[in-house]
Amino acid sequence: MAARPITIRQQISRRVSARIEARRRATPYHYRVKGLDYVWVYLFLLPFLVLYIGFTLWPLGATIYYSFFEWDGIRPLENYVGLQNYRTIIDDPFFWRAFKNTVIFSITNTVVKLPLSLLVAVLLTRKWLWFKRFFRTVFFAPIVIPVAMAGLVFTFLLNPATGAVNDILVNNLGLLDKPIDFLGSGGPPFGKNWPLISLIVISVWQIFGQYMIYWMAALQNVPEELYEAAEIDGANEWHKLAYITLPIIRPVAIVILFLALVNALKVFGLVVTLTSGGPGQRTYVVSYYIYNQAFSSTPFRYGYASAVAVLFGVTVLIAVTIQGYFVSKTQSADS
Amino acid sequence: MIQTHALTTNTLWNYVKSRYFRLNLITVTLLIGISLIWVYPFIWVIFSAFKTQREMFTAGATLLPNEWNWENFKAAWVQARFSDYFLNTVIYAGAATAIEVVKSAMCGYVLARYRFPGRNLIHKMIMATLFIPIASIIIPQFILVRELGLLNTRTGVILALSGGAGALYVLLFTGFFSTIPEDIFDSARIDGAGFVQTFRLVLPLARPVIGTVIIFQFLRTWNEFNIPLVFTFSKPELRNMAVGMYAFRGEHSFDWTGFAAGTVISIIPVLLIFFVFQGFFVRGLAGAVKE
Repeated sequence: MAARPITIRQQISRRVSARIEARRRATPYHYRVKGLDYVWVYLFLLPFLVLYIGFTLWPLGATIYYSFFEWDGIRPLENYVGLQNYRTIIDDPFFWRAFKNTVIFSITNTVVKLPLSLLVAVLLTRKWLWFKRFFRTVFFAPIVIPVAMAGLVFTFLLNPATGAVNDILVNNLGLLDKPIDFLGSGGPPFGKNWPLISLIVISVWQIFGQYMIYWMAALQNVPEELYEAAEIDGANEWHKLAYITLPIIRPVAIVILFLALVNALKVFGLVVTLTSGGPGQRTYVVSYYIYNQAFSSTPFRYGYASAVAVLFGVTVLIAVTIQGYFVSKTQSADS
Repeated sequence: MIQTHALTTNTLWNYVKSRYFRLNLITVTLLIGISLIWVYPFIWVIFSAFKTQREMFTAGATLLPNEWNWENFKAAWVQARFSDYFLNTVIYAGAATAIEVVKSAMCGYVLARYRFPGRNLIHKMIMATLFIPIASIIIPQFILVRELGLLNTRTGVILALSGGAGALYVLLFTGFFSTIPEDIFDSARIDGAGFVQTFRLVLPLARPVIGTVIIFQFLRTWNEFNIPLVFTFSKPELRNMAVGMYAFRGEHSFDWTGFAAGTVISIIPVLLIFFVFQGFFVRGLAGAVKE
């Protein structure tokens, strides 16, 4: 009984790895630039590079530089304070609160949205499924609401007194005796963690369509004949997913994973409108902390906010590098 | 799916007996259930836009308004200045999307087809900066725009919107242009096409990627909150709709029905864009991520 799936797996895997190998060998050809074309090449790069240097590279360098100053953004940049900003941050419990929340939010958000959106993407690309277009539109839809507006919609829907969610849970379904203050004091079973949980759920709902589309695109790279051949070998849907789909989409999946994590770390608009970081900093996140220091404290604390940004960015970079190291390690161990 | 003209009783019966029919019954029922919950907030916003303030607070989970009232749209459009914000949003999203498509197509094309000094460096930097959280660079962006004298202007917002992103889009174009067969470039060269002619020849092939970039960048800039908020601080009339909904926040109350109307106004154009370009969408991404 155990022997049969193994042979199916071996048969499928041989074809799949041949396909992956062939794709790796097919490296695109690059013309060596000659003569007048040099002018064109750099002219074509110019618009991107100007904006890229101005709005990405230079800001990165400047943030690091500002972080060593005490600066309100208006007077000349002359009050060099060395590592003082960093010391203050490390001693600030609000920063660590925001840091912890951001990490919890990003990891949970990614762990929930990626597998679910992959599952839905696989389902919505099955040939046999009815109403595919309709369901795709449904899952994509929330992304067209501006994040900030989505936050406000949910402050109303989740309101304990007038919101629809509590109305349904208490009056229509009778699941609860009294309403839960999802974005405030919370209630059973998650107690005071409800605001952060609500934030995570809403952000997954909001961004889901984007990752579904990413996965659907990745799935298009899987050649149909591999599935057909596997079916002849007697493979079921699980075999197809585990031995064909996942191995083939893995390089893209890694990029999607990184994008998902980094985008989750940027969370801002939803927090501002949904909870304003509250109650009691329970949903306070790093980008909001930076924003408050830089733009709503008097006087503005650009230097300090920059130091926060650097510290956070470096932490993320280290996390991503470690993740990348392990990913590449498991990959080379496989092949 | 079965073809209608081949729909004899026999084939229909065979299909009904097949496991795909049973699979569909289960999956579709499940998906419809999830869909109802999924779009509930949407439907709620749309119907709320037609309710009165009082009905809004007593309705609970009831969706349909007692009577359809169009006042909220007028309130949002005129009093809350959504006429201004709508125009701003169109300008920001339109301009930033156009800039993004042009610059990333040009850069992606060159990176995909040519070998030149600095190519690897640019490619590696783009990859590296793909993974930097934006919160960390908004302050220098703000200062750059201020030094250029463009703070509280539309140009400043557009520059910031189209300057910060782009790395991902360049990679999409690079990926796509590397999949174009050699023969096309060879024959173009034999026909004597120069650099620009060749680019114009292959650009239409990239329609799927262009569609994808348009949808993503349009969505991003249409819904952007952070940049317009910070860059138009002292000029509220330059806000986009996402920031402008603060206009519904009164001294002690929040105009929920006006807000719902504002939200409806802001999501309709995006839905239109999605429907127009969705044919390209998935195909474009698929071609782009092949690398």
